Amino acid sequence: MSLFAAAVVVRKELVDSLRDRRAIVSMLLPALLGPVLVSFVLQQRVVEARSGDQVRIAIAGRDGEALAAWLQQQSGVSVVALRSDAEAAARAHEADVTLEVEEGFARDLARSRPAHVRLFTDSTRAGVEPKARRVAGLVNHFGAELAAQRLIVRGVAPSVIAPIALDRFDVASARQRAALLLNVVLGIVMVTLVTAGMQVATDSTAGERERGSLEALLLNAVPRWQIAVGKWLAATAAALAGMAVAIAVMDAALSRLSLEGLGLRFHLGPRDAMTIFAVMSPLAFLLAAIETGLSCFAKSYREAQGFAAVLILPVVVLGGAFASYPVADHAWVSWLPVIGQYAAASQVLAGKAAAFDAAIGAAAGNLALAALAVWLVARMLSSERMIAGR
Amino acid sequence: MIRVVRVRKSFGAKVALEDLSFEARDGRVTGLLGANGAGKTTALRVVSGLLRPDAGNATVDDVDSGVDREGAQRRLGVVTDESGLYARLTCREQIRYFGNLRGLRGAGLERRIDRLVEALGLEELAERRVAGFSHGERRKVALARALVHDPRNVILDEPTNGLDVMSTRTVRAIVRELRAEGRCVLFSSHVMQEVAALCDWIVVVAGGRRVAQGTAEELVARAGMRTLEDAFVALAEEA
Repeated sequence: MSLFAAAVVVRKELVDSLRDRRAIVSMLLPALLGPVLVSFVLQQRVVEARSGDQVRIAIAGRDGEALAAWLQQQSGVSVVALRSDAEAAARAHEADVTLEVEEGFARDLARSRPAHVRLFTDSTRAGVEPKARRVAGLVNHFGAELAAQRLIVRGVAPSVIAPIALDRFDVASARQRAALLLNVVLGIVMVTLVTAGMQVATDSTAGERERGSLEALLLNAVPRWQIAVGKWLAATAAALAGMAVAIAVMDAALSRLSLEGLGLRFHLGPRDAMTIFAVMSPLAFLLAAIETGLSCFAKSYREAQGFAAVLILPVVVLGGAFASYPVADHAWVSWLPVIGQYAAASQVLAGKAAAFDAAIGAAAGNLALAALAVWLVARMLSSERMIAGR
Repeated sequence: MIRVVRVRKSFGAKVALEDLSFEARDGRVTGLLGANGAGKTTALRVVSGLLRPDAGNATVDDVDSGVDREGAQRRLGVVTDESGLYARLTCREQIRYFGNLRGLRGAGLERRIDRLVEALGLEELAERRVAGFSHGERRKVALARALVHDPRNVILDEPTNGLDVMSTRTVRAIVRELRAEGRCVLFSSHVMQEVAALCDWIVVVAGGRRVAQGTAEELVARAGMRTLEDAFVALAEEA
């Protein structure tokens, strides 16, 4: 038995879908929107992380000259004197951060008593938190310098009150930090896999049945499994195309962002991009098979869309579970759909040795389940319910 | 030659066909006449192998469609109740798709499509997508699609339903031509004039049973009526 009829079905479904605006939109929209969304969020985080570099401080209170003069010398800091009420000025966003030097500040300093400074911010303003942290740090630093001077005056080494020196190191390489980002990238690729093939899977089964063309199709002396395989592979092709677009757009968008501010670098390059595509592609076969199968149970095209859309949930939840729990070290994990792909893709990109086995395991598990689902589709197409059950 | 022998078919508790037997011979137009819900479409689906009979069998050129569905379907061309066309494919693409599925390819298939397009007067529409086609145009495309593999047996489920006069005439001409070529044509209808005008042999179905069969004249004579319509009502009520 040749696979000719299945190939005929694949070609027809793809031609049909390429002329279907809904199919094109559902294939491209998540693939384009996901990367754009991620880039936007990351860009915001970069901007936020850098926002402490430049800060405008307004200082109220007559005794604050010394503090103001010291702050003025720090890089990226500009200081303005404030005549009005500090809290009102903070509400009116007159500066990024408003300081109020309390009455008797200079006197308290001179008497070595705690001198009070109040710091006002509006935490609902975007990017203000890093600025506030920096200003608080600067004020403390100013205090520490004063303390050191006082100790020196009294003949005590300032190191006496600094018994511990804590030095912090982050040994994660830029590439490893990028792996965190990779989970987000993989998540978007997964969602694209679900959505990109969905229109083809539902339209070619439930849609065909609803429009009455399925009956005519089933009259063509073709084995039902060939029709099932054809519809499945057409949906798979759409899912793979969507994923390819998503990966390409993601790489283009993320490598243009300067993420050094977040301590990470992200650039896939053709080799890694193709690796991700290869590792994830078995999932396209599985998801397309499940979507086609679910659509056979649906009474209408809309119902089928609803069924298929539910698939996004397990894919996203499993992705989240993988990111939260360190299950990737167990060998059996690689056989699970979705989690297996996450594990294999992150191992491949981290350059780990077991990566190849993990990828093969993930592919085998998926394809076995896909075959089962396609067999079910063929069974469904053979059932009288598909014709008489409308 | 299509033969239905003592077929019984039920869906759950509802009996759709009860001990139905009839024969549609080659070179003859056989009409399955019955009211809506009489079991005409179910009977045709049993013949084409889409439904399996609970008892009895249906054969197409002696191939049992319940046993060898594909074998029966190879000998059969069917136009279903709904035309069931693909809105985004052109007229020619629809015919080519079904031709390909039946293993036809290349220049031979294209010549066959050309002949069908010409015979049905679809030349101007051949390269257009069927989305904007009228009901009659759709029926013609569905007919061309069902005939692409040159079947010896042709089933038409309510072929002229909802067609205007001109389209109805075209379809009738095609049916007569199929008969002249010696094919077996089996079609269902609830329209008396249609059946009276076309059929050499009429099988009257009511409640899933055959209540009478014969030529239009025989049926009218047997019921003691003047028109086929009166005869049909009398026979259906009798059953």
